Amino acid sequence: MNRTDYFVLFATILAIPLYGLWRTYGHPNLRQYLKGDHSIRWGTIGLSVLATQAGPITFLSMPGQAYESGIGFIQNYFGQPFALIVVCAIFVPIFQRMKVFTAYEYLGQRFDTKTRLLGSFLFLVQRGIAAGITIYAPAIILSALLGWDLNLTIWLAGGFVIAYTVSGGTKIVSITQRYQIMVILVGMAIAFGIAVHRLPADLSFGNALEIAGKMGKLHAVDFSIDPSRRYTIWSGILGGFFLSLSYFGADQSQVQRYLAGGSLRASRIGLLFNAIVKVPMQFLILLLGAMVFLFYQFEKPPMFFNQPTYQRAIERGYGPQLTALQSEFDDVFIRKRNSIQAMPKASAAESQALTAQVQELDAKARTIRDNTRKVLEQSGANPKSKDSDYVFITFVLNHLPHGIIGLLVAVIFCATMSATSAVLNALGSTTAIDIYRPLVRPKASDHHYVVATRWLTAAWGLVAIAVASFASLVENLIEAGNILGSVFYGSVLGLFLVAFFLPAVRGSAVFFAGVIAQTLVLLLFFTSNIGYLWYNVIGCGSVVIVAWIFQRTLFRNDRLLAPQT
Amino acid sequence: MSGHDHLPIFGTWRNAYWFAIAAFALEVALLYAFTLRFS
Repeated sequence: MNRTDYFVLFATILAIPLYGLWRTYGHPNLRQYLKGDHSIRWGTIGLSVLATQAGPITFLSMPGQAYESGIGFIQNYFGQPFALIVVCAIFVPIFQRMKVFTAYEYLGQRFDTKTRLLGSFLFLVQRGIAAGITIYAPAIILSALLGWDLNLTIWLAGGFVIAYTVSGGTKIVSITQRYQIMVILVGMAIAFGIAVHRLPADLSFGNALEIAGKMGKLHAVDFSIDPSRRYTIWSGILGGFFLSLSYFGADQSQVQRYLAGGSLRASRIGLLFNAIVKVPMQFLILLLGAMVFLFYQFEKPPMFFNQPTYQRAIERGYGPQLTALQSEFDDVFIRKRNSIQAMPKASAAESQALTAQVQELDAKARTIRDNTRKVLEQSGANPKSKDSDYVFITFVLNHLPHGIIGLLVAVIFCATMSATSAVLNALGSTTAIDIYRPLVRPKASDHHYVVATRWLTAAWGLVAIAVASFASLVENLIEAGNILGSVFYGSVLGLFLVAFFLPAVRGSAVFFAGVIAQTLVLLLFFTSNIGYLWYNVIGCGSVVIVAWIFQRTLFRNDRLLAPQT
Repeated sequence: MSGHDHLPIFGTWRNAYWFAIAAFALEVALLYAFTLRFS
């Protein structure tokens, strides 16, 4: 990165929050601080929801995912439109009608204080840790590749977010997210254009897609019912629906986004906007990864993208093994490139033979990369995340023009800041509204709660930075983030489903069902090795079934008690 | 007061939800056509 890049980077990441601070300057009351005002319309809500979900991992890892395994990952988003429709039809009108600040406040109104505390506690634990990972994951990759100090990078991403989120509350989060997601989309579109432009001049876009397809990178939809297939339309619709319903219905960091402004119509249109644009957006990000893959069929890629780890292994005396693998890799690359270059002009029969040859060489290259990883692990160089996470950022740093590099690094920072600000805003609000107000100071003034929410938001920001500082203890960060969500989401969603669909069930039954379900999921997490996406189903299903049984047996006399408000 | 007492129905938003589902179905159809063309 040169001076132009640094100028673009800092101008972009500073200008948006400064504009947000200017727009939100003043002394908001509690409602304004937690929900914003009526100037927040559906477009802002829609972009804000989009930005909250699309964290830095999306833009760092997704292209790398397509580079490694193709664009089939798109199917994981197929359940989301259905989940968003359910949230629009059932969750949003109830939250809006009850005029709640947080989703868990609704649990207090429908059940009792202890159920409200259980829901908010599970959210705070899960999101507090996840916020740290959101800051740490891009920081470790950027600091490794750019040579920045890790702690400085964490504070650069985290410190500034704390400052503006504390100052402006929900409104500044919504305003900044609107512009941050615009920068992200423009940056990714430019990267896509350059990746296509940098392909050989005699290769048309159509030919490029043909080659990527023949190499197995463009298999977007798979109707197979084979359970061993990782991504199919069925697992995407079923698993994706469940995960999305938990995330959009029971996670305050999203609930706060679509309740901003207070208009039912704006919330619904904003969510339906996401139901329509999410799949095309993810498709283009994955297709960008496929284009980067194709680019690296003509331009030799590093054998291992995480170069700092690779260099550490050489310094530890593993140079000879790695050099042998490198010369093997170079040979495979040249033979593969020659075959690919011959493909567009080949006859049908020749093309078939070339395709088989290219696929065989590609499998060989993959084996060499796997062997490289094993050598790196033996050396103790300890790569902290998958090598595919380094693919896109390596392409950006090595092959994009100056200025655009700065913009793309700003994209990663914008994604980190937008996702983190939404989470901190939700953590501060939930702690203030669901814990501090009912348990510590029940009858204080509006102004007091605004000040308390600000302090609590800042405190959660410091917790997130502390988690980020210790996150290096976790082996695979991105996987850890996904597992963490799945371990807690199911039980929380179960509380809400019981609230909506089992009117006879009261507070004690659902509370103890929630505790038992969460304990069961934690036990399974520590003692079994079932796929983590199942924790959602097990947690949610357990709450619903156990609450229903408890209400009909242990707590049947609880039926006549009026729910607390 | 319980939110469940007034559990909303799809109501006047029914058409908007159908529109979102139709858009999604079109997206999947296009992705499938893309898969058939380039795989």
